Amino acid sequence: MQLSMKTKKTFGAFTLTTDFTVSGERVGVFGVSGSGKSTLVSMLAGLVEPDSGEIILDGLPLYSSAKRINLRPEQRRIAMVFQQHCLFPHLSVKNNLLYGFKRCPAELRTIDFDALVGVLKLEELLGRGVTNLSGGEKQRVALGRAILANPRLLLMDEPLSALDDSLRFQIIPYLKTVSEHFGIPYLFISHSLVEMRLMTETTLVFEKGVMLEQTTGEQLARSRMGSSQVGYINLLKLGRPSPESGLFSYPWGGSRLLFTAGSERDSCTAELSSKDIILFKQHPEAISARNLLECRVRLLFNSGRKIGVELDCAGNTLIAEVVQDAVSELNITPGSTVYAAVKASAFRMLPE
Amino acid sequence: MFLADSDIQSIWLTVRLALAVTAILLILGTPVAWWLAHTRSRLKGILGAVVALPLVLPPSVLGFYLLLAMGPGGPVGHLTSILGIGALPFTFWGLVVASVFYSLPFMVQPLQNAFESIGEQPMDVAATLGASKLDAFFTVALPLTRTGFLTASILTFAHTVGEFGVVLMIGGNIPGVTRVASVQIYDHVEALEYGQAHNMAAVMLIFSFIVLLVLYTWRPNAMKMSRRD
Repeated sequence: MQLSMKTKKTFGAFTLTTDFTVSGERVGVFGVSGSGKSTLVSMLAGLVEPDSGEIILDGLPLYSSAKRINLRPEQRRIAMVFQQHCLFPHLSVKNNLLYGFKRCPAELRTIDFDALVGVLKLEELLGRGVTNLSGGEKQRVALGRAILANPRLLLMDEPLSALDDSLRFQIIPYLKTVSEHFGIPYLFISHSLVEMRLMTETTLVFEKGVMLEQTTGEQLARSRMGSSQVGYINLLKLGRPSPESGLFSYPWGGSRLLFTAGSERDSCTAELSSKDIILFKQHPEAISARNLLECRVRLLFNSGRKIGVELDCAGNTLIAEVVQDAVSELNITPGSTVYAAVKASAFRMLPE
Repeated sequence: MFLADSDIQSIWLTVRLALAVTAILLILGTPVAWWLAHTRSRLKGILGAVVALPLVLPPSVLGFYLLLAMGPGGPVGHLTSILGIGALPFTFWGLVVASVFYSLPFMVQPLQNAFESIGEQPMDVAATLGASKLDAFFTVALPLTRTGFLTASILTFAHTVGEFGVVLMIGGNIPGVTRVASVQIYDHVEALEYGQAHNMAAVMLIFSFIVLLVLYTWRPNAMKMSRRD
């Protein structure tokens, strides 16, 4: 997918200016509330007309004020998954799914209904109404409905923000898998750094109606770590735990980590904030934290008033954050050895 | 017999009038209500006020102006003469035209409320799924606002049935042509036929009560269904 957007749109005192060209199958648009993200996707979908400029998707002009082109939304083949699922309450799950499919010209239909239903695990829901579905089920149906419209681009406007954490991490694999499985590029809009890392390969960063940079989700998360209240969220892939001294010992690559919470699953993912890691230059004599990992410093990076430290812990990567003084006092340099201490209660297990 | 032939004739005429007005207003009122629900134009206030005028205007005032407009010297009367239809006052279709104006807010306002309650997002979703505006209206907006359509239709029908001032001004009192139920009751009272006036009034009373009963018992649940998502 190649998208070129050079537009201007003013709403009262707010003006959104876009001037970028981006390529890739998984593109993110990041920004806080009021940065213009939703206006951008609405212009792309044809729901809001820019004041001036040009929007070109894969060589096809969707909008051009100079050439007086403005394709209607139904002509653009750009489907959207909204923040609120916006399912049609008068239709069953199956008829919601088929709404866009029926309106797509037969020669453009490449997505098999049964295959999609299988990937999204919606078989059992097809005959049901949509009002009594859970939040996660509704968002899966909304995703399926958008995919079945056989779009050339899928827009996801904060599709996870209305869901709680447990549902959020249940839906993310579906969003990625379905798009990759059926070869549909997407533009993912969010104000969550973790979602950007997990969902996108290229990220456009907007603030107050202006694009600041084009980067990657990973780089964005690192650069915003210092100013983020939650820091950088390390996502740790863990194996099945075993009991140990009243705690739970999880295999993590070549290391083991002690948690206060256990899990029955063979594999799971845990969150660990960069703020919850304490670095020691030498092995401490005694420490209350139950996890002490010997690590090698791979690199340092600036992030606002903080310094990020990328650690190699027996082949695994951890990002910790420290202040500049700590870097000087501990003489933390790339290649040096440090000890990372983490309390057993600092981890947060993500739902399956 | 409970009702005289002339009473039944006036009731049948009233039903025909109410059906015609409801059907016409469904067609004319829907786009007006849609526009009022979605526009950001400055004209919204003006059109909204015009639509609501019959709610506060004395029926005789509206009837008077309509009589002037539809009479031989009025612009509408001139137009109907050119078209070969002739003058509308004191005809059934004159009553229909007058009643359409008089009942306009009873169709438009419930529909406008219904359209506003569903917001713009369902239409936006439908558009991004490939539906044209007309397609989205019939497959999304209409089903989601069916309660509003039923309410508006019932209110319009009931209000037309109960008209008196406007129909008397425009239609007069021609049996089988313009003498509707409310005028028939008036006639009975003037002729001191209180028994027949009672019978007709009872029919109207029961009809009005049933309409309101249906609205107040069935409508809240129906509205809840359309909004629960």
